[in-house]
Amino acid sequence: MTTVDLHSMIAPYALNALDSQERARFDIHLQQCAHCRVELAGFHATAARLGDVSSQAPPAELRDRLMTAVASALQERPAVVALTQSSRIRRTLPRLAMAAAFLVGTVGVGGFVVERGQAGDERAVTMAITSVLAAPDADTKSKSFKEGGNVRLITSASRDSAVIFANDMPGLEDGKVYQVWMIKGSSPTSQGTFKTRGTTIMKGLTDVDRVAITIEPSGGSKQPTSAPIATLAV
Amino acid sequence: MSQPATRLRLAAAAEPDVAPDLGGLLLRVARGDEAAFGAVFDELGASVYGLARRVIRDPARAEEVSQEVFMQIWQSAVRFDPARGSAKSWVLTLAHRRAVDAVRHDQAATNRENKYDWSNGPDFDEVAETVTISLEHEQVRRCMERLTELQHEAVNLAYYNGYTYAEVAEALGANHATVKTRMRDGLVRLRDCMGVEA
Repeated sequence: MTTVDLHSMIAPYALNALDSQERARFDIHLQQCAHCRVELAGFHATAARLGDVSSQAPPAELRDRLMTAVASALQERPAVVALTQSSRIRRTLPRLAMAAAFLVGTVGVGGFVVERGQAGDERAVTMAITSVLAAPDADTKSKSFKEGGNVRLITSASRDSAVIFANDMPGLEDGKVYQVWMIKGSSPTSQGTFKTRGTTIMKGLTDVDRVAITIEPSGGSKQPTSAPIATLAV
Repeated sequence: MSQPATRLRLAAAAEPDVAPDLGGLLLRVARGDEAAFGAVFDELGASVYGLARRVIRDPARAEEVSQEVFMQIWQSAVRFDPARGSAKSWVLTLAHRRAVDAVRHDQAATNRENKYDWSNGPDFDEVAETVTISLEHEQVRRCMERLTELQHEAVNLAYYNGYTYAEVAEALGANHATVKTRMRDGLVRLRDCMGVEA
């Protein structure tokens, strides 16, 4: 399929007028074509307006059924961004800016999924991370595992943020992931999941005393279901 | 047999500054906030269900698909990227895709011959159903009228009837390239007429 052919697919794609094979091919093209994504955003917004003409109140039971269902339904979790790392922070700073790979909702082998809410602002996230690493009050805690792998937590009170790097972590069986938790008192809040390595920035450290990592089923858990493999003081 | 009683309400478009922050709600849904999910349903449930009814026709199937759409919203709210478009656009895009997939999977060819008749307003078949004709509806209707016949039909058959562009080409006796171009021209005109910003 030539490039010209692909671009003629944008409007049909927005109207869901491609067959499933063409749609799949175009999905792949979209990942590589920023211009297409921009144009598609406008067409999707336009197509969504076409939906305005058909608003109709749903049956009352629908809401009840949904609220019951979500009480026990798992969600995809924001997972941890992976950046290439170097043991020397100064060399790392410019490389971090270029190496960040932010793909919303896509989990790669290295666990490259962006923390939701940061998706639209890659530079801001990279800058926030480097700001913590370069802060004069940056404090590092780390843990190495005898099976291989290590976790490093860099906390800065002045930036009110902490960055966690997990590297070369021991491989997990299928259906399991590592999950990062920020813990206030005894209440953990998930910061994301990863398979072998990952990085995330956690903002707002008031009352947070530690960061922990547990092993959870793929997709993550609402609360930790096992004892932490690592606990680092903030 | 008497006609079912129906009530039509003319509703003013919500002022932008009092509309709920759907993007903010989706952010909370992604973190497991069930109340935020309920609020998203309250705001967009009628749009999703109405669109499903329109594309799928069969009320039971439309309700099923609407439930699937909202379950997908719950499960994958993390994928919403505010930089790529509004929350409403994300939800309706998801809803439209599921509705189209359902209609292609289920519906017999004869149902898909039904074209939307703009002169009558939406169909409904339940007693005393309240249908809200909003100002947004009027704007879409007005802008659709500004399309050429071919642009209008291409967009109409694709969006409201779930036709692929190949099926549109067959229905209209046009070639594939022409249909794709008309879809593009139609969307561009609609976009500009309605002043849509992504």
